[in-house]
Amino acid sequence: MPRLSLVLVLLAAGSASAQTSDDEFFEKSVRPVLVERCVGCHGPKAKKGGLRLDTREGVLAGGDEGAVVVPGKPAESRLVAAVKHAGKLKMPEKKLPDVEIAALEKWVQLGAPWPAAVKLAPPEKAADHWAFRPVKKPPVPKSDSTNPIDAFLQAKLAEKKLKPSAEADKRTLLRRVTFDLTGLPPTPTELDAFLKDDAKDAYEKVVDRLLKSERYGERWGRHWLDVARYADNKGYVFFEQKEYPWAWTYRDYVIDAFNRDVPFDRFVLEQLAADQLKLADPKALAALGFLTVGGHFMGNVHDIIDDRIDVVTRGFMGLTVSCARCHDHKFDPIPTADYYALYGVFRSCTEPMVPPLWGQPAETQEAKKHATELATKEKALTDFVVAKHTELVTQARTRATEYLLAAHVARNVPPSDDFMLIADKGDLNPAMTTRWRAFLERTRKAKGTTWAIWHRFADTPETDFATVKGHDTDNPRVQAAFATPPKTMKQVAERYGKLLAEVEAEWKKGGGKAPLADPDAEALRAALYGPTAPADAPLALDWGFLSLFPDRTTQGEYQKLIKEVEASAAKGPPRAMVLHDADRPHDPRVFLRGNPNRLGEEVPRQFLTAVDPNRKPFATGSGRLELAKAIASKDNPLTARVLVNRVWMHHFGKGIVGTPGDFGVRGDPPTHPELLDWLAAEFMADGWSVKNLHRRIVTSATYKQGSADRDDGRTADPENRLLWKQNRRRLEFEPLHDAMLAVSGSLDLKAGGPSVPLFSGKTRRAVYGSIDRLEFPSLLATFDVPNPAATSPERTSTTVSPQALYLMNGPFARDAAKKLLAAPTVKDAKTPDAKLDALLLACFARTPTEKEQERLLAFVAKGPETEKWLDLTHALLMSNEFVFID
Amino acid sequence: MFPLSRRQMLTRCGTGVGMLALAGVLADDARGAEPVDPLAPKKPPLKAKAKHVVHLFMNGGPSQVDTFDPKPALDKLHGQPLPASLRTERKTGAAMRSPFKFQKYGKSGIEVSDLFAKTAGHIDDICVIRSMQAEVPNHEPSLMLMNCGDGRLPRPSFGAWVTYGLGSENRNLPGFVVMCPGGYPIVTTQNWRSAFLPGVYQGTYLDTKHTEVDKLVAFIRNTDMPAVRQREQLDLLKALNDDHASARTADPQLEARTRTFELAFRMQSEATDAFDLTKETKETRALYGDTTHGRQLLYTRRLIERGVRFVQVWSGAGQPWDNHDNLEAQHKKLAGEWDQPIAAFLADLKRVGLLDETLVLWGGEFGRTPVAELPALNGRDHNHYGFTCWLAGGGVKGGMTYGATDEFGFKAAEKPVHVHDLHATMLHLLGFDHEKLTYRYAGRDFRLTDVHGNVIKDILA
Repeated sequence: MPRLSLVLVLLAAGSASAQTSDDEFFEKSVRPVLVERCVGCHGPKAKKGGLRLDTREGVLAGGDEGAVVVPGKPAESRLVAAVKHAGKLKMPEKKLPDVEIAALEKWVQLGAPWPAAVKLAPPEKAADHWAFRPVKKPPVPKSDSTNPIDAFLQAKLAEKKLKPSAEADKRTLLRRVTFDLTGLPPTPTELDAFLKDDAKDAYEKVVDRLLKSERYGERWGRHWLDVARYADNKGYVFFEQKEYPWAWTYRDYVIDAFNRDVPFDRFVLEQLAADQLKLADPKALAALGFLTVGGHFMGNVHDIIDDRIDVVTRGFMGLTVSCARCHDHKFDPIPTADYYALYGVFRSCTEPMVPPLWGQPAETQEAKKHATELATKEKALTDFVVAKHTELVTQARTRATEYLLAAHVARNVPPSDDFMLIADKGDLNPAMTTRWRAFLERTRKAKGTTWAIWHRFADTPETDFATVKGHDTDNPRVQAAFATPPKTMKQVAERYGKLLAEVEAEWKKGGGKAPLADPDAEALRAALYGPTAPADAPLALDWGFLSLFPDRTTQGEYQKLIKEVEASAAKGPPRAMVLHDADRPHDPRVFLRGNPNRLGEEVPRQFLTAVDPNRKPFATGSGRLELAKAIASKDNPLTARVLVNRVWMHHFGKGIVGTPGDFGVRGDPPTHPELLDWLAAEFMADGWSVKNLHRRIVTSATYKQGSADRDDGRTADPENRLLWKQNRRRLEFEPLHDAMLAVSGSLDLKAGGPSVPLFSGKTRRAVYGSIDRLEFPSLLATFDVPNPAATSPERTSTTVSPQALYLMNGPFARDAAKKLLAAPTVKDAKTPDAKLDALLLACFARTPTEKEQERLLAFVAKGPETEKWLDLTHALLMSNEFVFID
Repeated sequence: MFPLSRRQMLTRCGTGVGMLALAGVLADDARGAEPVDPLAPKKPPLKAKAKHVVHLFMNGGPSQVDTFDPKPALDKLHGQPLPASLRTERKTGAAMRSPFKFQKYGKSGIEVSDLFAKTAGHIDDICVIRSMQAEVPNHEPSLMLMNCGDGRLPRPSFGAWVTYGLGSENRNLPGFVVMCPGGYPIVTTQNWRSAFLPGVYQGTYLDTKHTEVDKLVAFIRNTDMPAVRQREQLDLLKALNDDHASARTADPQLEARTRTFELAFRMQSEATDAFDLTKETKETRALYGDTTHGRQLLYTRRLIERGVRFVQVWSGAGQPWDNHDNLEAQHKKLAGEWDQPIAAFLADLKRVGLLDETLVLWGGEFGRTPVAELPALNGRDHNHYGFTCWLAGGGVKGGMTYGATDEFGFKAAEKPVHVHDLHATMLHLLGFDHEKLTYRYAGRDFRLTDVHGNVIKDILA
């Protein structure tokens, strides 16, 4: 019951009474001991010795042999004696740490305070956590309703003696379902048709029409873009262009996938590994934007990978894996080893300098010319980078002596002090020095080996070098090199450097391919070649190109080349923001405390043990496709549950699981676990069809019920967790934006293509507006559009006056009002009454009441008439009725 | 969308958040589902000295050895290599003495350079922390660390945390105001972001190169209709909303939204008033000076007076204090722009009795090296090992220095104060235990100081 305890802790902090501090002490110091150490045997499951320590009553009642706690008197309390192992009874068998014993003693001393109504539960084993258990389709409760959703809901309501609310009226229903599925209001014509349609399946026909509309993908695509932390640029970067010129190809892919009802498991696969799938439509390659439209974190590769791990695990599975970057997850069974297993997958992927074309553009003369031009520029850039990398790697060997010495000098600098350094041309590369330092650190552990002498001297002050006797190395070559004692560390480095150079020469003489036959030579060569050698550096070091060439001159050259490539590519046809597997996969090691310079154990690239206890290391390439398959699997207990919960959330305002981005042990438990599982099972059995899932939900009586408050419901279930009514919801920013344009008749329904600036007088749907990650517009934040810095599982919904200010004084609502007044149905209205009817029909999908009519016409009558009509229309667009869905 | 409810707030906030009448909200309390006003003023859980924060951000990194941390040893070693030079972003060479003179000020006799001679007139109200430390000598991560408590990952800004924890005392103005003349500092709006906190807590940016209120505050004026007509329009809107609400059962989220229009209407006049400097006396205006920073700080006082929680005032777009070369002239120019307004601001705050409850922080994202950059030898590189910030008002002991750098001003040598410690201390003064001011996000309870931070008790008044 993690949630309950939190509420109690909060309450404890709410007043400053003694009660509060006692409660706080209980929560902080006593509860964990009781839960972890006692309640397993003395609790609801087992009552050993007839004793229960999960409730205050139990504590005071004692066990078979009488009282165990005498409040206020630890000396007379057997519980205290038992935990102290002071008498015959020693509990638990393994004595508790002193601080825990002291806490229990103090607690008894205080009178064994216990916050009201608290009941402790034995600690849950992670594997027992509901979300990690397989999805099993539960039987549908007996009920009169034809839709199983209603049967599940009503069974729960009945427990509280509640009944669902009656179905909303047709107008409300149409407005609700139209906004929910398409993000737009129903047109007066659509309303008219629905009101006139008396067929039994009139509503179902509407649902089908809406799901077939292209507007559906735009609405639900936007929901997914929140998860995908979509933006049209990289955030803060140094040399590259800030913009993602083709992020919109991913956005269009998402919209299209929803419109085509691409099975969700396929949707997962494509977004993680489209490059490794057979694609019916080559444009689906843009799906990989899910991974690549994230922030660039100033080029720090570890942060970019962290962002990808986060979006994949939280986005698809509701798991907060990125918590395990620095230490094992505190609450969920996710060890750092699993984080780095996934790190290995994404570290084994690269983004091409120039991504592939999006689909097949026309083969015009011009296109060919452009392709040639771009290829030339790309080659210049690639050649440049490859040459710099080759130079770095070569120098890691040829300047080994210098690097060894530099690594020695830097040995005691705390690794967290690594930062972006600006060097001069010709300097040692600081990133390579760090690699040499890490290499030396690793060799330190192996005693008596090739590098033992190095460490021997490295640990000795130079003044004492003469006292170093007897060289404990098993490598005779090294032994020989140190036949005479060195005087300085520089000499030590030089001797090692010489040995390395000799070995390299030998090896090159022998063809430079096969390992050397002499194991002593080979042991030295491992410092220059092979997977542990510093020189075996990937193209993308910690800070990307900043690390590859840390001097301003080279950076300037690079900047010039990349600008040319970017400018040339941006002129051409759109491209898909793909990710490819690197030629050679990266074998990950744990970064101790998340520090890339402190390497821990090696881990295979593989899936999460919490989700699949029978996982095997990934076998192909980066393992990205295998990862995708493991997520998109019917055996994955999370993927389907998380998705159906998201869809449910957008239809009801909140999910069955209240924490859509956290299905771990600290997340909310589902309000309707059986329903969640039934929906997930049905969803998978039905070919992961999202549209059918919508159909199932929006045709339920639960969805269709009215949103009016009821006394019985409010009393029994004030938060409406059991859904005895539908929730009234406020339009988010995008449907608000689109609806104003739609009712005014100015909405441009052009679909797809490059992003357009928002608030610029353009009238495209908001989903096509470009999102700036670096300078995220405050207006969007004001309207609760999530910041694309990270995946967003749900939007907050705040009600603040800057929102009102924007609607009152900004040009947007005012312009929409002007356009609505100019729309034919309004402009051509013969009488003020008719005009009013047309206005309210457009805005509210209804005509005015008599009282309203009177009031509104009186408002206009005050004049000047034209202005008053405008002010009135503007007010309609700002009104609660326009903004809320009943 | 579902409104941010009391219970949602309850489940996300740690125990250390200001109490917005949370007490008494039980798991089954009907009020749990009510929407909360995220900016409602809250009482902090601990005794608070400060109610407002003013952060004077010298972006780019002012040099400590030229302002508040005199190092005579540099005069002796000028032109020679320092015995222990530390690695910073760029290569540096020999020691460089300060071109500015230091002298003692106030009863405390704290030494300050000529650059801030007027500010130094208030030295007995100022606590100079000479042993500040950040983590890296690069601007971007250091700005993020100073503003958001983390160098790289997207975390909420200090101002956002404070506004989240305390709400705002004036709903007709934004709770967290950011002023920077002429454009954004580097890494732009991330400096005052709300990240995973609700968007309402992010800083509201004002470009103080402008002086007209409608250019300062977006949408603050309606240019399309006179105020009388707007009033009539809003009355109509209120009537529409009331009709709408009365046709339904009581719903706090409807009422809450109706209220925002009334607030917004008042905000128009209130904000206009707050930025109308003609309401000040000639003397006051002269005290601050009719300059950009003079106006910025006079706005600041007017905002604080009106209950704004957090005001951050920047030197200017980009990174003005980043004087890798030509430091003497540049620092002189920048300090010259700031010195009088700061002195005026402190005097004025004192005059109106607000200094006691306003915590003023002066400083950059880091300091500068005591050694000169090669090859020009007339500027200094970034220095995160040791630098100076100062605090005034808001429960801080005045007329003291805390901590010290080494002989040359390179590295914090005595009582180092990490940025996390500064944050922890400032939160303490605002009435928070920095370990308890948390927000639940992505499975974790996040806080400004992450897992770090110690309150510096010695500087508390």
